[in-house]
Amino acid sequence: MQLIKFLRHLFVPHESNNQKAKILHSESLITIAALLISFQLILNFTGKTFPKVLGYASNISPSDIITLTNQQRVANGLLPLSTNSVLSNAAVAKGNDMFAKGYWAHFAPDGTSPWSFFLGFGYKYRYAGENLARDFSDSSSTVNAWMNSPSHRENILNSNYKEIGVGVVNGTLLGAQTTIVVQFFGAPLTGVPSIPVAQAKEITTASPLPKPTLAPIPVANTPIPSPATASETTTYVSPFASTKNLSLGIIGTLLLVLSIDLIVVRRKRIARIGGRTIAHLAYLGMILAVILILKAGNIL
Amino acid sequence: MKTFARHLPHYMLLFGILLAGFAGLVIFSYDKNFQFGVAVATSVAYVFWGIIHHLYHKDLHFETVLEYIAVAVLGLTILFTLILH
Repeated sequence: MQLIKFLRHLFVPHESNNQKAKILHSESLITIAALLISFQLILNFTGKTFPKVLGYASNISPSDIITLTNQQRVANGLLPLSTNSVLSNAAVAKGNDMFAKGYWAHFAPDGTSPWSFFLGFGYKYRYAGENLARDFSDSSSTVNAWMNSPSHRENILNSNYKEIGVGVVNGTLLGAQTTIVVQFFGAPLTGVPSIPVAQAKEITTASPLPKPTLAPIPVANTPIPSPATASETTTYVSPFASTKNLSLGIIGTLLLVLSIDLIVVRRKRIARIGGRTIAHLAYLGMILAVILILKAGNIL
Repeated sequence: MKTFARHLPHYMLLFGILLAGFAGLVIFSYDKNFQFGVAVATSVAYVFWGIIHHLYHKDLHFETVLEYIAVAVLGLTILFTLILH
């Protein structure tokens, strides 16, 4: 009986809650927001303290990424890119470097540029570009995310590029197990008039970047940890999925309670001070739609 | 429903704001900074819509403003936590 009274107090307009479900009171909403922030802090703490607990499961393969990329190029009237194993090795090295140094950027904290990986593996380029992705679950969503971004799409559909190399590397980045996808594009110097790398005319990158480092950096000589394959990823808790599910639960509950509130207030003709329930329903409905559409994954 | 019909022009404006916010969050999903901006702009617009709407109907109270802010803060917190991942 006590439980029923408590639930009624929490979810249904009644005298006990001043004719408005307790969960809809301003202080309750702020408390829920605070609890959500606390949950995020716990997730971050868990990631740092127990790095093997959080993670993103992925099923991404370099060959799929290359196939899907070439499909996009052909669909846009461009020639497909040929796979270059040197570029692929350089891409894997870049991915490993990101895990080893713990950064998510085109440039490493120590200033190492993407181009140094090209040159370090002996790939002298006329044109070069890089797309990065992490936390995606499959190859298709990765390429789709790049295609939806104007700057990354420009890289994929750049007619100057002739070759491609993709590295898919698993590791722990910022406390969470994840898969980083490095996509290197290039056009080799061979077959064109000899132009020193230092005078390469144009470098196309995913985002505005400084000119490439002129002097090759011997990246190839640095020890490269053996890359784990996607299938080796042991994922226990996905930070994105857990946050998404919790958010869906909160919004779903509030929408249900607001709907009950709307019906009860109309039927009982309750007059009270407060916001418009339909407005709250519309706003939280928009948040629900966004939650349902948002997917895990970052591109750079 | 009578109240809703009476406030229809106001609600149409609110739905327009929310639809624009939704479109911005989906279309610019590749740009997290822009998504943050759209989320904040939509939530602030929602709060201001509430204030102006109640002011227009002469039933604006401090508790009402707090309620709109509380709903917006919760919505923003949810969006931020998801966008951050």
